[in-house]
Amino acid sequence: MSVIRHFVKKEFRQVFRDKQMLRMLLIVPIVQLIVLGNAINLDVKHVRLAIFDHDHSEVSRDLLSRFRSSDYFDIILADQSKLSALMDRGKIDISVVIPEGFARDLGSGSTAKAQLIVDAQNSNLAGIATGYVNGVFGSFQEDFRNRMLEKNPDIKSKIHSVEVVSRVFYNPEMNTYFATIPGIAVLLLTIITTLINALNIVREKEIGTLEQLMVTPISKFQFVMGKSLPFAILGYIELAIALAVGMLWFKIPFAGSFLLLAFSAALFLMTTLGAGLLVSTVAQTQQQALFTAWFFLVFCIIMSGFLTPIENMPTALQYLTYLDPLRYMIKVTRGIFLKGSTFFDLKYELAAMAIYGTAMFALAIFRFRKSTT
Amino acid sequence: MNAVIEDSNIVVETHDLTRKFGKFVAVDKLNIAVKRGEIFGFLGANGAGKTTAIRMLCGLLEPTSGTGTVAGFDIVKQAERIKSRIGYMSQKFSLYNDLKVEENLEFYGGVYGLDSRALKQHIHETLERMNLQHVRTKMTAELPLGWKQKLALGAALMHNPDIIFLDEATGGVDPVARRDFWDMIHDLAAHGKTIFVTTHYMDEAEYCHKISIMHQSRVLIQGKVGDLKVQTGMKTVEELFKHVVTQGDSA
Amino acid sequence: MSTSSPMIAANDIKKTYKDTDALRGINLSVSRGEIFGLIGPDGAGKTSLMRILCCLMSFDGGTATVAGFDVEKQSGEIKKRLGYMPQRFSLYPDLSVGENIRFFASLFGVERDAYQTRFAELMQFSKLEPFINRRAAALSGGMKQKLALSCTLIHTPEILILDEPTTGVDPISRFEFWEMLRKLARQGVTILVSTPYMDEADKCDRVALIHKGNILAVGTPSEITQEFKHSVLEIEGANLFDLRRDAETLPSVVEVHLYGDRMHIVTSDIFRCQGELQAKLGISLESVRKVAPSIEDTFISLLK
Ligand SMILES: Nc1ncnc2c1ncn2[C@@H]1O[C@H](COP(=O)(O)OP(=O)(O)OP(=O)(O)O)[C@@H](O)[C@H]1O
Ligand SMILES: [Mg+2]
Repeated sequence: MSVIRHFVKKEFRQVFRDKQMLRMLLIVPIVQLIVLGNAINLDVKHVRLAIFDHDHSEVSRDLLSRFRSSDYFDIILADQSKLSALMDRGKIDISVVIPEGFARDLGSGSTAKAQLIVDAQNSNLAGIATGYVNGVFGSFQEDFRNRMLEKNPDIKSKIHSVEVVSRVFYNPEMNTYFATIPGIAVLLLTIITTLINALNIVREKEIGTLEQLMVTPISKFQFVMGKSLPFAILGYIELAIALAVGMLWFKIPFAGSFLLLAFSAALFLMTTLGAGLLVSTVAQTQQQALFTAWFFLVFCIIMSGFLTPIENMPTALQYLTYLDPLRYMIKVTRGIFLKGSTFFDLKYELAAMAIYGTAMFALAIFRFRKSTT
Repeated sequence: MNAVIEDSNIVVETHDLTRKFGKFVAVDKLNIAVKRGEIFGFLGANGAGKTTAIRMLCGLLEPTSGTGTVAGFDIVKQAERIKSRIGYMSQKFSLYNDLKVEENLEFYGGVYGLDSRALKQHIHETLERMNLQHVRTKMTAELPLGWKQKLALGAALMHNPDIIFLDEATGGVDPVARRDFWDMIHDLAAHGKTIFVTTHYMDEAEYCHKISIMHQSRVLIQGKVGDLKVQTGMKTVEELFKHVVTQGDSA
Repeated sequence: MSTSSPMIAANDIKKTYKDTDALRGINLSVSRGEIFGLIGPDGAGKTSLMRILCCLMSFDGGTATVAGFDVEKQSGEIKKRLGYMPQRFSLYPDLSVGENIRFFASLFGVERDAYQTRFAELMQFSKLEPFINRRAAALSGGMKQKLALSCTLIHTPEILILDEPTTGVDPISRFEFWEMLRKLARQGVTILVSTPYMDEADKCDRVALIHKGNILAVGTPSEITQEFKHSVLEIEGANLFDLRRDAETLPSVVEVHLYGDRMHIVTSDIFRCQGELQAKLGISLESVRKVAPSIEDTFISLLK
């Protein structure tokens, strides 16, 4: 154990002495998260909303005026027959269709249906807009129910609800704004921990200190742990920074358990650090290491479904995404962060990550050699 | 244990130790024997195969054929056991430039598994012995080469090894620092340590008890310095070296 | 410019790093065709001085000219005429020996005929010809150094600045390398070279001994040894290490230097010293002889 402690101490001394490295590790991720997040934030004030009211009732007019008074929306007046053309041309971001009989259904206690059509090409905008629309519906529904209860306290048992049926155009996965931040956080974690481990070891190979280490009696396990543990700790620091930016800057509530997230991160870090180590066993120079790691990273990022929805991939490739550890980690992080998912909700993903992490780490230890053949 | 040791005083021994890189034979049937407490000068022209041979003895490189023992352990099957008994200074400076002087010693001592009390004591002793106390908190990168080499030797000695491999430890070092270095080497040998050293400084070769001269992958001559001079009629190791290597070339 | 004006001239050059004075007013003048050696302990400032003369580093005081051009203002002109080999020369590890040399030849625009003669000379000294197709990464330490030297010397600049060129090079190649330098000097090439080998210092036309950023002595090797104030007695033999320790305890002995199979005993009183050697250590008068101090003797005692 003490050998590993000495490694941790040494790596931290080196990292914290290297100001450039420190900036890369601590400040760049914050800037990236904030810049990406703000780029997303810019447009959400003026969502172009088209409303088609086929009910023409007092109730539907009330709903309409609620949309009008919100400064999130710019109401566009249009002919419904031209809706899809307008959406195609990007003139409308979102539209709400209130069908005939909406007020009647609501009054009678059966579920009233409204339709929401979203242009999800800009998935973040779409996500936020959908959230706003749902919010307006939500407060409308609550007010309506209170009014009914005032009029007639006996109908308590009757539920007055509005079901908003969403039809999402172009991006059925619909990554929401909230979902993007945890996604970017995981991405940063993947890139940083894979690269740092690979480059660090190959750098030692280049300067010759690795050979000096190989002539000591340390075991392969000690070496691998000694190299991975400090960077795992760095990984956790990265993750904490990303969470803090998400929660404090973007005000995303953290719904789940920090402990569960930390546990998931441990499984995931075994994969990324193991991959970094594996790269270092084949690469002789930092340049080679960078390129080799890059292939792994690009595969992980593309196949994770973060950028392109998995449903849009050819079927064969869709199966391939099950091999991508990032796919699970993004899902797990989003689940814990946004939905408060529990261990049992995520058991399959966690199991997959555990298998992946163990296999990767074991392979790295197996491949690592203290002598050259 | 496989190897049968005839003479318990022999601490480094090889039998037809060979290493190839592809078709190229870098070390060809090396046979050497070094006794405890000896300073063994492993001389040779550039590219003769000295570093390659040392790396095999230290368990860093697997031999293509042949056998060898270091401290009584087989260099292939028991390489890990050898590693706690030897100190190695490679031809390339291999300490961390971005660690302070004492941090380097602390790290290497720690890797060798010294506990914190022993570590503290050994760091103190090493700094004292190498005359580096006044720079203990300096960044290693800022040291002049001679001091760096002393620090590297200190690091290689932190775990008190029995056998020390020095691959051109004094390369590029100025005469005064080289003198200090050799004083230290003699002290170590006097305390029963075995020193296996390569150098291109022929005056240093004179200080060795035994030498071998390697050329184009083969050892051409080995023995006690005095004996070899008598045998060849040469006055200095420098002359001896030039004589042997030139003959080897024409052969 | 006229041949008599110096090819390298440094005037009161000063250089300060964060908290150390690396150079404290260096004055130097090297004329055409001269081999000028810089010797001094590690960290004395040799590399800093060379880097300044190669226009690679700014400095804090003084002036310097190389080939008559100002180091600060005319670096372009200087670089056209200069060949420099840093202490840690980087080769292309993925290129072969031959490819590295050819690459540098094309970089310097070496003509074909000149290339072929020089290439042959370089192979003679470096013995690298059998390894011409080997990747530089797979060379031994000394072979890499020789390849670096070959890359620097493949063209013939007016001025060569070489920072510890022979570190790790074996004695035979070292000898032949100096033959090559001598030949270049005869052709009019000016050479500034630093070295930790005192036998190489002896081969220079003039040397400067640098210590802690100052020049302690400058002159031909024999002029330098005249700086030495004491006398030297030499003893030859084996196992001098133990004898040295005993000799150091003698009252008349100033210091003892060991050079392989020879020991130099420095004393201010030869007769007393000989007496003590005989009386206390049993060394007969015949085995001790007075010799001229070597440059290494001078180096070591000047540093004290
Ligand atoms: N990885 C490798 N691949 C191919 N050839 C190699 C490799 N490593 C070493 N060699 C070759 O083996 C030979 C011996 O190299 P080695 O480094 O052992 O020489 P050395 O005696 O230490 O020389 P030096 O005095 O220059 O340090 C050289 O010809 C070298 O090019
Ligand atoms: Mg070598």
